Amino acid sequence: MNPLPAPRTSPWLNKVPEVALSFWVIKIMSTTVGETGADFLAVNAGWGQSLTRAVMGTLLLLALFTQLRTRRYTPWIYWLTVVLVSVVGTQITDLLTDGLGVSLYISTTAFAATLAAIFAVWHRVEHTLSIHDIITPRRELFYWSAILCTFALGTAAGDLATEALGLGFAWGAVAFGALIGATYLAWRLGGSPVLTFWIGYILTRPFGAALGDLLTQAKAYGGFGMGALWTSALFLAVIVVLVGVAQLGLNTGRPAPAAD
Amino acid sequence: MPTQYTYAHPVATVSAALLLSLAVGCTKPAGQGGASAARAPSTDASAKSQSTAASKLGDLSAFRGIAADVSALVDKGDLPAAKVRAKDLEVAWDSAEAGLKPRAADNWHVLDKAIDKALAALRASAPNQADAKAAMGTLLRTFDALEGKG
Repeated sequence: MNPLPAPRTSPWLNKVPEVALSFWVIKIMSTTVGETGADFLAVNAGWGQSLTRAVMGTLLLLALFTQLRTRRYTPWIYWLTVVLVSVVGTQITDLLTDGLGVSLYISTTAFAATLAAIFAVWHRVEHTLSIHDIITPRRELFYWSAILCTFALGTAAGDLATEALGLGFAWGAVAFGALIGATYLAWRLGGSPVLTFWIGYILTRPFGAALGDLLTQAKAYGGFGMGALWTSALFLAVIVVLVGVAQLGLNTGRPAPAAD
Repeated sequence: MPTQYTYAHPVATVSAALLLSLAVGCTKPAGQGGASAARAPSTDASAKSQSTAASKLGDLSAFRGIAADVSALVDKGDLPAAKVRAKDLEVAWDSAEAGLKPRAADNWHVLDKAIDKALAALRASAPNQADAKAAMGTLLRTFDALEGKG
């Protein structure tokens, strides 16, 4: 229960989690929870899209502000921010597509170009794109900008696959799952860890959406018919447990870094 | 940083587990079969022999049924009740998006726009019967056109 043991030279400790199994599980599930949550507020609760967007945008700013002010990785703040980034990233794409009638080909290209630009500037300024040493406010801003962009890009690319290829959620989950597998393989075969991480980060957005749809959608459409409420409750429970374990692990004195 | 590579193995585990669960889900493909049973031209007698011609989106009768309810309430002049029933349509339509849209995205968008317009007419700050009636008429015709009865 004591505060941090050995002080480090850096004023900030690493602000982001190690990328391990629970990282990807929480990341994929938070996509579904974020999307169904926002959908519930907009449609079932009757808030409408505009109010939901405003509320989620405000919550994201608050969460991001809190996350940027912490001096060390705090699981619940970090993952709350990810869920809200996921919601807002999705809303940005939906606003462009449904509200402004922007073609998904254009938005997918534009988000890909924006993400490339963020990485270019990030690399130019920091000389690294490492996602393991987020130890300065500037790096952290790059990190969250890139993450927001990957969610918008993942949404647009996933929707494009649905619209242009008629890719339903079942085949979508297989296709994006296979691409994630290929990305993993590329990394194992010596591909750049940073590049494969970000490709995985983009791909897990449409993969998470397809997986959520598979559980949510009625059996008549080839889903499991669990409904949005139960699916979200299940995923949220898993997230809470995993984040809770991470939070407790930190609070009871940091154990040795996760072994590989 | 020796821990730099820790994420790779888990990715494989997750993908493997999820792919496995998908194999189960895919034994029943997402309604692709029914969609290809395209409607015959209206001159073809076999089209009429079926009670409901399926649209490319599949069976839309549940949604059309709610829309018909809304339309009836609008005709009666009960706009508040029509607005309440229209929400059932919105919720049902929205929750089926992932199942329906991949079958025929173009048709889905046509219907989605028509539903949006009907909701907007009923939710106007001062809704009037004429606008609501026109929007519901368009919506019902859109359903019928997609189901090959237009």
